[in-house]
Amino acid sequence: MIEPIALQSTVGTVRFWAIVLLLGLGVFFTLVSTVGVLRLPDIYARAHTASQTDTLGAGFALAGVAVAFGWQHAAVYTVLLLFFVFITNPTAAHAIARSAAETGVEPVLTEENAAEPEASAERDVPTETDGETQ
Amino acid sequence: MAANRLLVPLSDTVTVRQTVGYAVQSGLEEADSLECHLVVALPYDGDVPEGDQQLEDAEGLLSRARNWVEEDAGDADVTIETATIGADEYLFGPRDYAEIFDAYADEHGIDRVIIDPEYQPGVTAQLLQPLERELERIGLAYDEAPVERSARHSRLAGGTEDFDRLFATFLISYGFYLVLGDPTYWFDLLTGAAVAGITAISLARVTFTVPLDRVQSPIRVVRFVFYIPYLLWEIVKANIAVSAVILRPSMPIEPSLTRVNTRVRSGLPLTALANSITLTPGTLTVRANNQQLLVHTLIPAARDDLFDGGLEKGIRFVFYGRESAAIPSPRERDDAEIVGGEEL
Repeated sequence: MIEPIALQSTVGTVRFWAIVLLLGLGVFFTLVSTVGVLRLPDIYARAHTASQTDTLGAGFALAGVAVAFGWQHAAVYTVLLLFFVFITNPTAAHAIARSAAETGVEPVLTEENAAEPEASAERDVPTETDGETQ
Repeated sequence: MAANRLLVPLSDTVTVRQTVGYAVQSGLEEADSLECHLVVALPYDGDVPEGDQQLEDAEGLLSRARNWVEEDAGDADVTIETATIGADEYLFGPRDYAEIFDAYADEHGIDRVIIDPEYQPGVTAQLLQPLERELERIGLAYDEAPVERSARHSRLAGGTEDFDRLFATFLISYGFYLVLGDPTYWFDLLTGAAVAGITAISLARVTFTVPLDRVQSPIRVVRFVFYIPYLLWEIVKANIAVSAVILRPSMPIEPSLTRVNTRVRSGLPLTALANSITLTPGTLTVRANNQQLLVHTLIPAARDDLFDGGLEKGIRFVFYGRESAAIPSPRERDDAEIVGGEEL
């Protein structure tokens, strides 16, 4: 479908830079998500940021692909792809969080909750603890 | 003569009353005393979102059925046992039902099973014919209660409800096929129709477990299309907020666990809401139980958004219309709270 020639010569300048911008944003959010997975304290917090890769990371990257394809059939596929990613991502994130909860992984919570009467067993936020089981 | 022991599986149908009546009558004809076991088989284990609700419904049905038996029995010697079975396992098909009935029958020395012709314990398709086949295979004696059905279509000829499901499934699968293929090419049009036909016939009842509404269902689809841009906008906003927090060297996160009582029905609306919440970075649905969502939030901004209930309003708009969307936020109606980790 697409010949391996320089993309810039096949699309207009505006479109070229639009593609670059979209792919750049996609890469940026994927990078942020990776940083988040490394920095955040426990499995629940990491699940939040892991879904960033799927939502905006994949979203912008696929938008870039769609713009590169232009007005043809393949662009519809990218929209469909994104649709399925958007359905499967929360399902997977929820499955991970729920199984963590079922196996008794305790979330790291802020001490703000300690003000509540029933929440006496709260811990402070240790920034470098793994959220895995104790 | 020994007591006649009957097993009557119950489900909430129009003919359940008649089935119970037949069980008592036929049981007393054969023997002077009757032991009537009324059971409700729960299709899922008690752990799913609607588990508690189902258990409650089952208890209600059992107590009603107990009254019916007492009413029909009069002075005759009738012992009533009630039970809910299958609560600790998933019952998937007729074979599973036949097997738990058989296990129950063995345990209690049951002579015969009385089946309600409309017996439909789960949410899936009608069970009667395959269930009878399985009972025969296992060798458990059964009897189909002769009931008069009021205004129910017969088993083979479909009514409009079935047609709607078939039509909708056909349309969706045909549309999907043509999007992947080429809508102008005759070969794709032909094979697509064949594939969509097979899909519709085999999966229509599985795809749509609740009857479709000819007016409301298409409107919901249209409303859902309007909901998508709103959801995307929320996702972009939340992504930027979470990214900013992650990239700050001090990383000012405030993880907390919150519970929100939602005002949407269980099933598809609740699934859509829980998924939307999870899709937005900063909020993550950990548990869903009878309209109660246990949501883990990462930053205060995300928690505030959740308590303001924007997504809930969106989902209510999709499923119930514009007027229903204008409800107080979970914070205002006191349905949202921060809970500790022991709630998990």
